Amino acid sequence: MLTKKECVAMLLAGGQGTRLGALTQRVAKPAVPFGGKYRIIDFTLSNTINSGIDTIGVLTQYQPFELNQYIGNGQPWDLDRLNGGAFVLPPYQKAKSGEWYKGTANAIFQNIDFVDRYKAEYVLILSGDHIYRMDYSKMLNYHKTKNADCTIAVLDVPLETASRFGIMNTLNDNAIYEFEEKPKHPKSTKASMGIYIFTWEKLRKYLLSDEADKSSHNDFGKNIIPAMLSAKEKLYAYEFEGYWKDVGTISSLWEANMDMLDNSSGLNMSDKDWKIYARNTAEPPQFVGSEAVISNSIVTEGCNVNGVVTNSIIFTGVDIDEGAIVSDSIVMPNAKISAGAVIKHAIVGWGSKIGKNACVGETQTAAINGEWKIAVVGPDVSVDDKTVIKAGVMVE
Amino acid sequence: MNNKMMSVLFASGNESKLNELTIHRTTASLPFGGRYRLIDFTLSNLVNSGVTRIGIITRSNYSSLMDHIRMGRDWDLNRKNSGIAVFPPFVLNTSRDVYKGKIEAIYTITDFINKSPEDYVIVANCNIAANIDFNDVLEKHIESGADITMLCHNGQLTSSRRVVITTNAKNRVTDIFFVESPSQNERLLSLNAYILKKDKLVAYVENAYARGHVDFEKDVVFAEASLGAVNVYEVPGYASIIDDVKMYYTESMKLLNFDTREQLFGADKKIYTKVKDSIPTKYGKGSYVKNSLIADGCTIDGTVENSILFRNVRIKAGAVVRDSIIMEDGEIMEDSTLAYAITDKSVTIKENRQISGFSTYPIVIVKNKVV
Repeated sequence: MLTKKECVAMLLAGGQGTRLGALTQRVAKPAVPFGGKYRIIDFTLSNTINSGIDTIGVLTQYQPFELNQYIGNGQPWDLDRLNGGAFVLPPYQKAKSGEWYKGTANAIFQNIDFVDRYKAEYVLILSGDHIYRMDYSKMLNYHKTKNADCTIAVLDVPLETASRFGIMNTLNDNAIYEFEEKPKHPKSTKASMGIYIFTWEKLRKYLLSDEADKSSHNDFGKNIIPAMLSAKEKLYAYEFEGYWKDVGTISSLWEANMDMLDNSSGLNMSDKDWKIYARNTAEPPQFVGSEAVISNSIVTEGCNVNGVVTNSIIFTGVDIDEGAIVSDSIVMPNAKISAGAVIKHAIVGWGSKIGKNACVGETQTAAINGEWKIAVVGPDVSVDDKTVIKAGVMVE
Repeated sequence: MNNKMMSVLFASGNESKLNELTIHRTTASLPFGGRYRLIDFTLSNLVNSGVTRIGIITRSNYSSLMDHIRMGRDWDLNRKNSGIAVFPPFVLNTSRDVYKGKIEAIYTITDFINKSPEDYVIVANCNIAANIDFNDVLEKHIESGADITMLCHNGQLTSSRRVVITTNAKNRVTDIFFVESPSQNERLLSLNAYILKKDKLVAYVENAYARGHVDFEKDVVFAEASLGAVNVYEVPGYASIIDDVKMYYTESMKLLNFDTREQLFGADKKIYTKVKDSIPTKYGKGSYVKNSLIADGCTIDGTVENSILFRNVRIKAGAVVRDSIIMEDGEIMEDSTLAYAITDKSVTIKENRQISGFSTYPIVIVKNKVV
């Protein structure tokens, strides 16, 4: 018999992340490298264990191999437990049915047994594509205090950007009376962060009835939340303050990486009480050569830097040869930048090789309509000597 | 016969010559190369060669070693069968004293050795920095027909005791002796690491113990060499014993050389160490870093040249660090200058301090000190 768990986390990691293009051709978005030595999913996994929740189901579907291998037995996050721990949950064949996860709610529906086995009272629904540090135990306390059926974490966003989010309209006590997906004329600035806590008994009921409805999209935002609202269930908004970023686009992925260089961004990684864990690669320390110039940058173990690096994030095992210039860019694990190459406002995918005197990207002074024109070289791409890749272009 | 290997390691040895650096720790847990402890090299070499049954004999100050190794997970040694066994100092009922030398130490763990199913045993100290393929060593050992194969490298003599070897064309040891005076010439030196059949080891040790011998080198290896039964395996690439402060400094500085790093951290034969989940290193707007080896977790706003920084070191604006080694959690505050210094773990150098050793006599600042 399994030990009872008060709260089980379910992490939705099945999305393809189409807007990241070449970067998610062969890996799921949560497995995309971030911030020098992390993957996007490390933030959510670390938040979970740091919040004292030690049982987490990771729902994978799209290109799962890399992610499955990365999570493994969950040991890097201290999630290799006798009772509980990390479980990768792909869709599977059942006695009566067997199908892909149709939507976010369907993914949980298909794993009702998993949650039931732990006799969980509460379920924390997370997505694996956000960069933030959050204590879910505080949100759970809030949920219990409010005696809520569902608590949704919200972030106060500027009014002019509110129409890009799912917006929660609330009463004075933060009770949600209406949910609007990307409203043209937002009534509130409380944007959903895609983090939900449900009282499991309630959610279980709604999942079953949602599954019975053939016209449903089986989605939390589109179906479950509206259904609960119209049935007058108790839904509350939990206000989160701090750094949070959806890294769904190339521009936002680049921005979030750059936020690591900015002490005022709020993305403080050095908090020893809230470490972000990652699977370790056992590389030697980084070597900085006699010709290297490094300024305002992050560099990771296993790198050999002999060129000029400014305002950039250099991931594990990257080689930057003498005479190469990298500025305002992200160079992902094991990429090689040859002599004389110039990388500006660009993302270089893992394992890629940039030839001698090649030019990737162009300097930009500001985002246009909130979007940066970042040049992207996909993973494992070889860019020939002297090739020019313009701003905003993606090479696969 | 299964041609498999187990290993017996000695965590202590020559602590006196490393003086300040080993007050708090064994030689095995001496930090080396920016993010490692010396024992990481031997453990990783063994694991990379498929050796997973490893006994570590300790003598004193071994808590730092226990803390580093824990269950051996970082080397993939947390196995159901085999794995790491740490032997705290064993006091024989008969002698009422901690073991005197390697012979007595091995004698106390004869049971562990006898019970292990492997045929061969690697006996080594934990003060070797090298990337060694023990499968190749075993193959050469079996080919040679020798009773013992000793691992050697070409190196200079220092003031520490070294075993010098001469061999014939067949790599058989023809002469072997101790030297304790420095010299510029390169000689074939022992790494104090041996491979031999397990039952041979047990027989040698029981025989030597019965005769009251204590010194494994002198009483077993030298004696066998005089019978022509000892072969030499010269470790290809970089190899060194780290057993005094000067050696520690010069060998550390060799890591700034690309070829040394390639040989020591060789592409697929990785060196594993305890995972600390440090964040990547941050270089500030005013940082100036040249020819240095830098671990993760550092924050650099000052100048660093020809130096090695361990994890979580902070170099403040205006601080200058040259030809120095700064161990974990070190902090060099504003406008201080350090040259030819080795600062142990968690040393803080306050503002406007000037500290300088000399290339042949690096100054050592003891763990947790504030200057």
